[in-house]
Amino acid sequence: MTPLTIRDVDRDEALGEALSELYGTTRAGFLRTAALGSAAMLATLLRPADAAAQVSDVAILNFGLRFERLQATFYTQAEEMGTIGRMKDAKQEWARTLGAHERAHVKIIERVLGPKAGPRPFFDFGEANETPAAFTRTAVAMEDLTVALLTGITPQVHDRGLISAFAGLLTVEARHAAWARHLVGAVPAPRAFDEARSIDSVRGAVDRTNFIVGKPKTGARRAPRYAG
Amino acid sequence: MQELEHVHPPGRWTRGRLLGAAVAGGAVAAGGAALAGRGGAGTSVAAPSRDTDAQILNLFLLLEYVQQDFYRNAAEAGSLGGELARFASTVGTQEREHVAFLSKRLGSRARARPRTDFDERMTAPDGFREAAVELEEAAIAAYVGQAANLTRGLIGNVAVLLSVEARQAAWIRSIAGVSPAPRAADPARKPDDVIADLRRKGFIA
Repeated sequence: MTPLTIRDVDRDEALGEALSELYGTTRAGFLRTAALGSAAMLATLLRPADAAAQVSDVAILNFGLRFERLQATFYTQAEEMGTIGRMKDAKQEWARTLGAHERAHVKIIERVLGPKAGPRPFFDFGEANETPAAFTRTAVAMEDLTVALLTGITPQVHDRGLISAFAGLLTVEARHAAWARHLVGAVPAPRAFDEARSIDSVRGAVDRTNFIVGKPKTGARRAPRYAG
Repeated sequence: MQELEHVHPPGRWTRGRLLGAAVAGGAVAAGGAALAGRGGAGTSVAAPSRDTDAQILNLFLLLEYVQQDFYRNAAEAGSLGGELARFASTVGTQEREHVAFLSKRLGSRARARPRTDFDERMTAPDGFREAAVELEEAAIAAYVGQAANLTRGLIGNVAVLLSVEARQAAWIRSIAGVSPAPRAADPARKPDDVIADLRRKGFIA
């Protein structure tokens, strides 16, 4: 069997373009036909030294998407379950605005990623969005976490247009966080500089919540009522 | 194939493709329009360099100086009470830290402190609230417009400062009773427009 090469898998020439940009056309041409027998080794070889620790924009966007989907679903479910409807007016406006923004962020990132968008995960927030108190507590923590994530990943993005777009999203997440903190009586801007967190650190925090689950939940608690 | 993701190209998304994606869906009109704005008036496309860094950091420094003076001036006038006074004092301290950070990064290239000029009405609660919202929004729009033009090492430093500007804006808007987060994505503004606006409103002499 003929070994697979970059050319075989790089149908839209995206990698080829990048290689040319990094190494010029001659070496890129050579690498393009190199066998992918050891993809890991090849990847190391292809990476410029100063970018060795960087994550790809696709990976960053997909993590951002996963996180925005988590938030959007959290707010949408709270609306559907009536949690938001049971809150005071000022909090309702806050919760609904945040939900609308997070859903818009999901759509924006999905469209940017196109077919490279990862599959929609399943979520189970347990009781975290069932009562106004739990909802508010979780939302405050989640919005602060989002600020930490976006300030951490924005400088990792390669594409300047995307960095610019991320800047305009991170300010909105920071507004959400400050708004949330104001509503619960916490200082909206507690420090002169926020603390950035890495994708790995945020992934760890999200994992510990168990909000993302492998399968859709099948428990009876929220199952549709049998009407027949 | 997982490993190959690491070599995914820089510049994979052209500005056009990104903006096209952002504006394509009617459902994302708010965020999309804001993102689309980014490609036009608000952003400039200078290649990142030490010179560009100095220009951009000096713009940010100017904005931080104006804000620092504004809050100090209001605090000294002593006509704010309750949460407004706490806001002015907390945020004033933060702007001073932002000034210190930017001055240090700029070293000998740091611009001089501007001559600021605030109308008396801006120290009374109503005028103060209104002016603070305008100043914070101006700073956010200028930062959003220029952050991506910095060299890579600086972007992270500026991101954690920019998020605090956005928190401050949301805080004063909460106090003022206007929506703290009026859009799904914040638009960028050109530096010249932001500065001209500050002159017209009488913040800079």
